[in-house]
Amino acid sequence: MRAKNIGASVFMMAFAVLYGYLTTGLPERTLPNTPGPPFMPWILTICLFTVSAIWFFGSLKISSGLKGISEKKEYLLLPVAALGLFLVFLVMLPYLGYLAGGIPFFAGLMLVSGERRPPWIIFFSIAIPVVIFYLFREGFQILLPRGEWLD
Amino acid sequence: MNLDIYQGFLQAIQPTSLLGTAIGAFLGLTVGMIPGMTISAGIIIVLPLTFVLPPAISISLLLGLYSGGMMGGSFSAILLNIPGTPSSSATAMDGHPMAQRGEAGRALGAAILASFAGGLFSFICLYFIAPSLAELALQFRAADLFGVVFFGLTVICSFAAKSIVKGLLSGLIGLILVTIGLDPIMGNPRFTFGDPNLLSGIHFLTAMIGLFAIPQLMENLIDIAKMGGSFHAESSFGRVFPSLADLKLMRLPIAIGAFIGTFIGILPGAGGPIAAFISYDYAKKTCVNGGDFGKGTIEGVAAPEAANNAVTGGALIPMMTLGIPGDPVTAILIGALLVHGLAPGPLLFMEQADFAYTIIFSFFWANIFTFIIALSSLRLLVKVLETPKSILLPTIALLCVIGSYALRNSFFDVYVMFFFGLLGLSMKWLSIPVVPLLLALVLGKQLEEHLRVSLTSSKGDVTVFFTSPFSVFFLCLSLLSIAWPFISEWRKRKAAAAP
Repeated sequence: MRAKNIGASVFMMAFAVLYGYLTTGLPERTLPNTPGPPFMPWILTICLFTVSAIWFFGSLKISSGLKGISEKKEYLLLPVAALGLFLVFLVMLPYLGYLAGGIPFFAGLMLVSGERRPPWIIFFSIAIPVVIFYLFREGFQILLPRGEWLD
Repeated sequence: MNLDIYQGFLQAIQPTSLLGTAIGAFLGLTVGMIPGMTISAGIIIVLPLTFVLPPAISISLLLGLYSGGMMGGSFSAILLNIPGTPSSSATAMDGHPMAQRGEAGRALGAAILASFAGGLFSFICLYFIAPSLAELALQFRAADLFGVVFFGLTVICSFAAKSIVKGLLSGLIGLILVTIGLDPIMGNPRFTFGDPNLLSGIHFLTAMIGLFAIPQLMENLIDIAKMGGSFHAESSFGRVFPSLADLKLMRLPIAIGAFIGTFIGILPGAGGPIAAFISYDYAKKTCVNGGDFGKGTIEGVAAPEAANNAVTGGALIPMMTLGIPGDPVTAILIGALLVHGLAPGPLLFMEQADFAYTIIFSFFWANIFTFIIALSSLRLLVKVLETPKSILLPTIALLCVIGSYALRNSFFDVYVMFFFGLLGLSMKWLSIPVVPLLLALVLGKQLEEHLRVSLTSSKGDVTVFFTSPFSVFFLCLSLLSIAWPFISEWRKRKAAAAP
């Protein structure tokens, strides 16, 4: 927990510096006595840096033996697999579209969630995305993406 | 009768609005009772469906979901000893022992009736308090409004029970994200890096879908890895409606819960779990059977259930009159109203008073429908608990993607949603609370606007914030809100040190 906190607080201090640097590029005020566009970002830069520094020094005081909330590695396999599937789906979404991309994504997530019966996986991974597709198209008049490759 | 009240009432009893409320209540009861699904996540998933609906139907549906979700949480708390929502944690303490004794129906009936009574009481408070408070708030100037919004943000401290620093950090990240896009006063682009998608800033609903739904999905997957994908709940539980003797026993705890719940709901940041536990504790001290609390008493179910449903109406008061969210759900409701071009706050009662009353009356119907649906379809609802997560989770994931896409028909929003999902997961990993970030996303733009308008009007003189009684009042409240966690910590230490 201590190492995590120290690492994260250093990252946040670096981010505050970067944010401050980007703020210097904002246009200054053009009217007298009017706080300009960089006004709020400057306040936030100072606050973020200060709070991150307090966190950093506070983390140094934490005993290195203190453990935070952590899950066993085998429990994290499923979320990591799901995130991977999510990422692949999002990358392919503009090319495959909602239906062609959504059906394998749904099937993959069913597998990750522990479903092992092929008829169930086939039925639900087709039925649910199709029902949602038509619900949005016919019921809510929202056209979901069809995909560049299938257009 | 005032014409706006009449029109609001008529709008709320339109068949389509009533249907929306009923569907919302059913969905809320379902979402609330599924362990691992919060009301916030439920509302966020349903929200994209409401974009194309008229505002009155949309808000009716969401209020139904809010009210139903609060009640639904108690079902799994009683039947499984797993609270469906954090607000129903106190209910499990007496509800589950009753179920173990074979009195599940009695406990569920008590929970349903107490929730209904708590909700109705908070509706009455909402109806009478909100318009008067909005009238007062109409006199606020920019400096006063800055005080109000600043107070709303200091609530961050109460969401950061474990670490104030982490709570503040989360809030600051939110405020920084709000600065992306066009400057609210002068219209200059800020931190857009030449990308036109960023000109309108980050849509906070996209951010919320990612922040709430993705970490929730991952948590559920961890649960599956630990203990499997579905629950088994007993669906035969005998008589549900309380007997006359039970009704007599429940009178006092319901009254306690309704009062405490409504009051705590009005306080930004306190929320359902706190109200439920305070009511439980107070009922324990005042009821005749107080000594039996924790062993399965009907009063121990009634008090927290009345309280957590009373919180809903209480939380709507600051949301509607001041534009300050009382809890995460009302923050999402503000977002839903903004999508429909309606800004909650004092002007809502002036410019769209009929719609403000539509919200109030829809809340009334939400409680009625939740009560009727809960009583009539309890057995069916309990079956939902057995829905395999292998179907539920992929459906939620798909709805998250569609929801963020449907907002502006843009893939960019889908990627932003995923980014916020990863941010939410990282924050969870570092034990940084997400709610302060959410509050900052909701209130950040207003905070900057009111601050800069006040300073411009006073020609840069900061004393403008200390010249109005309203502004001073809210700044003092803000100070108290910031100092409160330190004071309570000091009191705890003092009490522990005392012999």
